[in-house]
Amino acid sequence: MVGLTSYLIVSAALLGIGVYGLSVKKNAIRILFAVEVIVNAANLNFAAFTRYMNPPQVSGQIIVFYSIAAAAMEAAVGLALILVAFRLNSTIDVRKLNRLKG
Amino acid sequence: MVSLVIPPDIAFVVLTVVTIIGAILALQAKELIYGAISLGLSFIGVAGFFALLDAPYLAMLQIAVYVGAVVVLILFTIMLVHREQAPEMDEQKSNPESSVGLWLAGLLALAISGVVALAGTNLPNEAPSATLPVSELGPALTLQYPVPLIILALLLSASLLGALVLAKVER
Repeated sequence: MVGLTSYLIVSAALLGIGVYGLSVKKNAIRILFAVEVIVNAANLNFAAFTRYMNPPQVSGQIIVFYSIAAAAMEAAVGLALILVAFRLNSTIDVRKLNRLKG
Repeated sequence: MVSLVIPPDIAFVVLTVVTIIGAILALQAKELIYGAISLGLSFIGVAGFFALLDAPYLAMLQIAVYVGAVVVLILFTIMLVHREQAPEMDEQKSNPESSVGLWLAGLLALAISGVVALAGTNLPNEAPSATLPVSELGPALTLQYPVPLIILALLLSASLLGALVLAKVER
């Protein structure tokens, strides 16, 4: 039987995978992947909660719409930043991008 | 939608497997390109979840924006950045911080699942039979929440201009 809790547990698993990638990976593009996975987990949560609301509400779907648009912007700016970092340092290993370190 | 063709329980299990495996492969695949493609697979799985949750508009948006735009953008960037620099960069098998990260993430997911399972009796586990028609979404977006939509449009153009300025090559 699929209920609200099943969706929430899938979302929690996605969040866990994303946090793992965010904390372990060294490649900047992989870190961007992890961020996108986390955003997807949040979107899934919103959609699941708004489906199980009685009476049906439109606001959950609207906020997922905003969230998808914001994630697309974030990906565009993040990839541009990665390109600049690669051009300046010829690496995208975040452990080596430590020029600001005192 | 999907539930008319496939029983929703089976669809849920298949989508869960596709989404989770896609997300894991996106982070663990040896080649960055394969990682990007599995990320797209995971996004398609989430779109299937949206269809299962009676939100066909969100499913379409997810496929158009994520699979259509974000993954293609990522592939483009990988092709610009990728030189044979990857092999030593992503070795994370042996170092201690990776196991710490794995434990941290696993504990976080387990804790959230535990809270959800504990609260499960208070959550509505029966979906209401009344679903929201897609035609409700447009009026809500333009009449009920017009200001966030305008701000979103401004933010979108600002961020895309910012990305262009950042990526511009200076000679």
